Amino acid sequence: MIVAENLTRVYTMGRVEVRALRGVSLEVEKGEFVGIMGASGSGKSTLLHILGLLDRPTSGRVTVDGTDVLALSDHQRTLFRLNRLGYVFQDYALIGELTALENVYLTSLVRGAPREEYLRRSAGILERVGLADRMDHRQSELSGGEQQRVAIARALVNNPSILLADEPCANLDSQTSKSILDLFARLNEDLDQTIVMVSHEEWHKEYFCRVVTLRDGLIGDMAECRKERPPPGRTA
Amino acid sequence: MFSGLQVSAFLAWKSIQRGSKGTLALTIMIIALIFVNLIFLPSIISGVVENFNTQSIDFDIGNLIIEPREGSQYIENVTSLQKKVERIPGIAGTSPRIVAGVTYFYKGRNAASTLYGITPEDERSVTKIADHMLAGEFLSNGDTNAIIMGTTLAGEEGEEAGGLPSLQGVVVGDSVEVAYPNGEVRTYRVKGIYETQSFNVDTAAFVTGREMSGVLGLNDQASAILVKTDVNGREEEYKTELLSYGIQEEVRTYREKAAGFVDQAVQSFNIINTISTLVSLIIAIVVVFIVIFINTVNRRRQIGILKAIGIDQGIIINSYVLQVLFITAVGALAGMALAAGVTTYLTAYPLVFPGGPVYPVVEAPAVLRSIASLFAVSVVAGYIPAWQIAREDILTAIRG
Ligand SMILES: Nc1ncnc2c1ncn2[C@@H]1O[C@H](COP(=O)(O)OP(=O)(O)OP(=O)(O)O)[C@@H](O)[C@H]1O
Ligand SMILES: [Mg+2]
Repeated sequence: MIVAENLTRVYTMGRVEVRALRGVSLEVEKGEFVGIMGASGSGKSTLLHILGLLDRPTSGRVTVDGTDVLALSDHQRTLFRLNRLGYVFQDYALIGELTALENVYLTSLVRGAPREEYLRRSAGILERVGLADRMDHRQSELSGGEQQRVAIARALVNNPSILLADEPCANLDSQTSKSILDLFARLNEDLDQTIVMVSHEEWHKEYFCRVVTLRDGLIGDMAECRKERPPPGRTA
Repeated sequence: MFSGLQVSAFLAWKSIQRGSKGTLALTIMIIALIFVNLIFLPSIISGVVENFNTQSIDFDIGNLIIEPREGSQYIENVTSLQKKVERIPGIAGTSPRIVAGVTYFYKGRNAASTLYGITPEDERSVTKIADHMLAGEFLSNGDTNAIIMGTTLAGEEGEEAGGLPSLQGVVVGDSVEVAYPNGEVRTYRVKGIYETQSFNVDTAAFVTGREMSGVLGLNDQASAILVKTDVNGREEEYKTELLSYGIQEEVRTYREKAAGFVDQAVQSFNIINTISTLVSLIIAIVVVFIVIFINTVNRRRQIGILKAIGIDQGIIINSYVLQVLFITAVGALAGMALAAGVTTYLTAYPLVFPGGPVYPVVEAPAVLRSIASLFAVSVVAGYIPAWQIAREDILTAIRG
């Protein structure tokens, strides 16, 4: 369970202060699939960075499964990211010197998985995002949407208990988006993965158990979780 | 658990394999050139020193030189002393020399310089002058009115003397008059002209010891006895050995004998060498640092991403250090190849110094020192920027 209390994040650029978050409180239960929506610049990425232990809030508290993650040392936060989180960056953030497959299995290598196993799992997940024939391509040899799917595969490969995805379908056509969202839904269902996903698209809402809307750094609207998740619609 | 070093090596290798080949080649080349620079001058200076030493041993002094005890002008009972010394194991030969400062006269010209009286067969067993005849022949034991002359003293027709003793054009077969310090004057026929490139020797001349003893009224006496040992470099041991055999005369190594001249030169060269090495090292530090720093800074975003996906900064830093180690190793190898090339070239076409041609002498300690300094510098140059960036805020690094 993720609990964020009264998060603020102020960026100072010289004399100008940008208040990206102005007091956001949010609870995400284990196994929830939450959508975060809101206008561009409303603070969605900023919030996700903080939940993903990539940034620290200016004030407020974040606990994950009872652990005060802001109190952890940098090293502990790194291990937390490695072992508990999967993060899909809005700008993919692939390692340009590695192939798609290497990008995906790098964290498994770090976790000490046996070679055979991480190769099989990484290839499997790349296949599931539709990149079976792009495994040996490097970032510069992949389209935007393909890069995005490599980023998704990298976030999923270790079956993290929490998946944070920042507009993971931004560069995908609706058909591919749907297959990615179906994949998320299945992981959420089968592995009880907690998923927090930023999105712009109205039709994504049907996948989310609830939607949190941000408006100018504040929560504008927070629906109750629909206990009964309807089967994903057939059409986009 | 996993081995962090393995991940570092994986990242380092991919980076080398897939990073910019141009930058890689340039970095390796720079390190190679710095390496050559670090060992080139020392090798030439070692060559000069080596040259001094061999020249002293081969033509001028021998490995050891026995000189009259304090207060005497000559060594007495030379023959028995020679026998005594030659019995010592490791002694290859001895050659007594009588030395006199004389004036040479030739075709109305004159020159003041040294004349040595030698026993030709003994001299052959110690020095290599006999192998360096430009014209004519070396002396024989029975020669009485023959002289052999250094090429500088013989000189060339029409040349400017330039401060050195020169008779300007003596050739084999000519007659030269020699005025001894006791007033005696003799006429000798020039039997040979030699060139050793050793300044002291090329400005002198030789007659037989028997002839010179006759003129100076000496009997079984010599100004010095040159001693040749089987191997070079162990002069100190042999000196102790000689003294332990009860030799009463002064025994000095070639190094001690030439001390004033060679040691001073060596000392000056060592100072030049130290300064040059220091400057090269500082340049090396700066250049390697800049190249690797830029290289690492360019990968700022990548370092940020690695941290973001949960890779410990120690692993990231190590991957850069490993890259740098690899690049430096290849650079040092390339540098060694390059240095070997330069050395081979300079051995085939040596630099010519006043003491003769100088062959570069690459000394193992100098090479090791260069390699060690290069590695030390590179590791620091790779570590610092990687460490700096790896410590940076993740999002700042990712934004670049
Ligand atoms: N590093 C930064 N320095 C200064 N201001 C920043 C920084 N990052 C974000 N901001 C500002 O904070 C606000 C929120 O940014 P954020 O990236 O969270 O928006 P977003 O909701 O993700 O928008 P988008 O939908 O366009 O991705 C914006 O006004 C942005 O300009
Ligand atoms: Mg965003």
